[in-house]
Amino acid sequence: MRVVRVLLAAAVGALALAGCAPVQSGSTSSAKDEKSGQLKVWLFDEVNRGPKEEVVKQAVSEFQAAHAGVTVDVQYIQVSTRAERFKAAFSDAKSAPDVAEFGNTDLAGYVAAGGFADLGQDVAAWSDGKDLSPRVTDTAKVDGKTYGVPWYVGIRALFYRTDVFAELGIAPPATLDDIAATARRIRAAKPDLLGISVGGKYTYGMLPFLWAQGGDLAAQQGGKFKSTVDSAEARAGIAKYTELLRDDSCPPAQCAGNGGDASVEAFRAGKAAMTIGGNFNRTAVDSSAAAGKYAIVPLPGKTAGSIAPAFAGGNLLGVTRSTDRRTLAVQFVELLGGKQYQQKMYQAMGNLPTFTDLQNTVAAEKPVEKPFIDTLNAGTRFVPVTPGWAKVDAQGVLPTMLQQVASGAQDVNTATAAAAQQMNSAFGS
Amino acid sequence: MAFAYLAPTLLVLAGLLGYPIYQLVLISLYDYNQEQVSGNAPLNFLGLGNYQKLLSDKQFWTVLAQTVGFAAVCVAGTLLVGTALAVLATRVRAVPRTLLFLAALGAWATPAVAGSTIWLFLFDANFGLVNEVLSGIGLHGMAGFSWTYGQWTAFGLVAAQVIWCSFPFVMVTLYAGIRAIPGEVVEAAALDGASTTRIARSVILPLLRPLLLVVTIQSIIWDFKIFTQIYVMTNGGGIAGRNLVLNVYAYQQAFAASEYGLGASIGVVTTVLLLAITVVYLRVLKRSGEVL
Amino acid sequence: MKRPGRTIAEIVTVLVAAVVAFPLYWMVLAAVKPADEIVSTNPRPWTLRPTADNFVHALTVQNFGRYLLNSVLVAVLVVVAGLLLAFLAATALTRFRFRSRTTLLVMLLVVQMVPVEALTVPLFFLMKSVGDVAPAFGLNHLGSLVLVHLAFSLPFAIWMLRGFVAAVPVELEEAATLDGASRFRFLWQVLFPLVAPGLVATSVLSFIHAWNDFLFAKTFLISGSDIQTLPLALQAFVKPDQNDWGAIMAGSTLMTIPVLVFFVLVQRRLVSGLAGAVKG
Repeated sequence: MRVVRVLLAAAVGALALAGCAPVQSGSTSSAKDEKSGQLKVWLFDEVNRGPKEEVVKQAVSEFQAAHAGVTVDVQYIQVSTRAERFKAAFSDAKSAPDVAEFGNTDLAGYVAAGGFADLGQDVAAWSDGKDLSPRVTDTAKVDGKTYGVPWYVGIRALFYRTDVFAELGIAPPATLDDIAATARRIRAAKPDLLGISVGGKYTYGMLPFLWAQGGDLAAQQGGKFKSTVDSAEARAGIAKYTELLRDDSCPPAQCAGNGGDASVEAFRAGKAAMTIGGNFNRTAVDSSAAAGKYAIVPLPGKTAGSIAPAFAGGNLLGVTRSTDRRTLAVQFVELLGGKQYQQKMYQAMGNLPTFTDLQNTVAAEKPVEKPFIDTLNAGTRFVPVTPGWAKVDAQGVLPTMLQQVASGAQDVNTATAAAAQQMNSAFGS
Repeated sequence: MAFAYLAPTLLVLAGLLGYPIYQLVLISLYDYNQEQVSGNAPLNFLGLGNYQKLLSDKQFWTVLAQTVGFAAVCVAGTLLVGTALAVLATRVRAVPRTLLFLAALGAWATPAVAGSTIWLFLFDANFGLVNEVLSGIGLHGMAGFSWTYGQWTAFGLVAAQVIWCSFPFVMVTLYAGIRAIPGEVVEAAALDGASTTRIARSVILPLLRPLLLVVTIQSIIWDFKIFTQIYVMTNGGGIAGRNLVLNVYAYQQAFAASEYGLGASIGVVTTVLLLAITVVYLRVLKRSGEVL
Repeated sequence: MKRPGRTIAEIVTVLVAAVVAFPLYWMVLAAVKPADEIVSTNPRPWTLRPTADNFVHALTVQNFGRYLLNSVLVAVLVVVAGLLLAFLAATALTRFRFRSRTTLLVMLLVVQMVPVEALTVPLFFLMKSVGDVAPAFGLNHLGSLVLVHLAFSLPFAIWMLRGFVAAVPVELEEAATLDGASRFRFLWQVLFPLVAPGLVATSVLSFIHAWNDFLFAKTFLISGSDIQTLPLALQAFVKPDQNDWGAIMAGSTLMTIPVLVFFVLVQRRLVSGLAGAVKG
């Protein structure tokens, strides 16, 4: 009769919850700070996560050895279901981890949902903390408060095929304007190749064009964000980018539906002469048709010799507000996110460290990382830090805008005006 | 007595569907985002605000029209193919029939994500077999042709996939239905000199009506709420969202963006629409003498 | 006279079967192809170098066996519990006339019309409070999946079973009562076996429903690595743009096979089973 009991429980639960307003979770923040027990950690699953798991295991044993009576339970969660996982964790403290890895673009939404604890004082008091690259640390801040330790950064640059460029006797583009011209020239000479592989859903590939022209996604006015994608500068950048999505360089029928991974995929398959790729794509390109036949340079800016501002992607390590073991959780974050383990993570996974001194060492020792570090040092930018951005992202506002232009359905002015309106509505609510 | 038999079911349905549906309607009247769900922000009663926002969105109406058209094509296609093959199956011997059923059951059993992925793979612009074959037989323009780029080719491709995985239900049900018609009924009509089409129309069809009712209503409900196939095959709604259908639209605009209030209002509107369609359908049947 | 017509019909049938089965063939083929042949600009409908790599890759997902068991457990519990409840409800809705009968039948259709995605948030909170009373049926336990799938498969199951119950002559019941059989005995020893084909047909649909679910699994099974189900595990190969095709196809094949085997085993009963629904 267990079934009956459960059904009764369901009915009772339903009655108990049935007020005249939608259900809400109570506050999940915890006042406890236990010094023993199990520490639950969520890290992202990756296709070849073996090396990552090795490094994390080392960190866990080191941590457990230093803290008697503490066990660390690491769970690898899938990036594609992270939204559901985190939302659920914020509403049910029992399911929530103590420490979690998460993408920096998700931060503002998570903070608004009350998910993560303010680590400002902990980071300030941390010996490694002072060497954190300030630009990267900014991506862990909402309204001036720090909610995580940057674990690694992802930076994009221009990948090009050295064999194709040598054959045609051309040099990599020196300015942003040169990119389209170079792409057209290559495709005219080699119609089987995409001049440059970019995509209508590749927001982070487009943003450097927008920023290089002096535009931005949004501006903060009196505590509220207002979209600026319809400004003259932003429009110029978007026009420059969508100029690439044409039959003479990257035909919309092939490219308009592509995001970043698909764009790089075409380059890997040997079907593109250039692409915008990340340092995290390098290993995959090295095991592809383009291996040994490509080089990387920073994406050029508006004038020769300058570098277009790149998007500062990356992941953070944070401590949930619902944790019962705040001190332990912070200590674990400082261990796994500290210099020693960031270096190990770089060796294992190629994840670029977030400490300025480590970055410079990497650039000096591994020339192949130099274009990325140079891009990082030239100044990176970020998406608007507001929960509204998560909505803009989920609703695909910018990809839709790019695809409208690429498919010829709308001109840049109409598409950007529509996108600005949608962004404002997302920021407003 | 009836109540004793129904009690466990009613309890489950009231608790696990009735209550959430009641909540759904409530939520649709509030500004209910992730902040509110996790209790980090106060609730804000909007009244019909979410509905107003939804109904004044031009894109919603476009998407709604697309959904109705797309679902209509899928339902018609599914019923047509399913019925035709069910009739065909009654005319052939066991071996070909078993082959057909095995193939159909396979298509039915394939998870939606897997089925969509395979179709996408077959119709891939560069690596797909279909383009390879088409350009091989002389249609050179088809090499590298993207099926998912154009609005109509994309919708057509998805509709074909949907029909592929949903006709088996109709076929198997109707085949069983035809088989269950006593042979004497058909023979008697044939002896009276009725033609084959006449037998089909005035003897078999009326007997199959109750079954057709079930498969039609179920198909309408399933196809109107299609999600996976569109989401996977058009990469989340096609270029600039021109292949969006209602459920994918709801997912992108509301659920993925954590706007549950708006999402709930879309859910309510969907339900009301489906109910209206079903009621109209039942009315039409009733006029021709059918009762539930 | 009739022969040539039937031959043409049979040829058409076999051709249609081939077309319908082709995507499945392609799925299995991609699963056994070596990686460089899967993504090739010159796809061939066969392979000379079959490999088990993709299956090995899919099967080495941590705890694959455990996930498979979890999925089977949920699906079987849903099927068994669903059949019992739906059988009782269908009997009530056919054998008894009461005022709200039609309303109930329409309600069973209406609840199928609500988009499930819209119900996840209320269901999440419901499961959270169920968990406070009966942990095995709350969040992070497979029981929560059994409960929701039970609720979502019941309306359709009742509609289907109604026809089968109606097909059993009322006289049979009267005869059994005259013989002194209790209502309870009649229900389980006479009526239940008679509608068995219908139960089989309904169970296949409930099985697929619970087997393929992804939405509720990812909403309710938040924490704990040994409670995931198969669709969640296979998600590891699906990345936004860059998919591991071979492993996806191998995984999909592995997902499809149990259902297909179940289908083939019950096919005869399924068809005769669905026939019962006609008399509804």
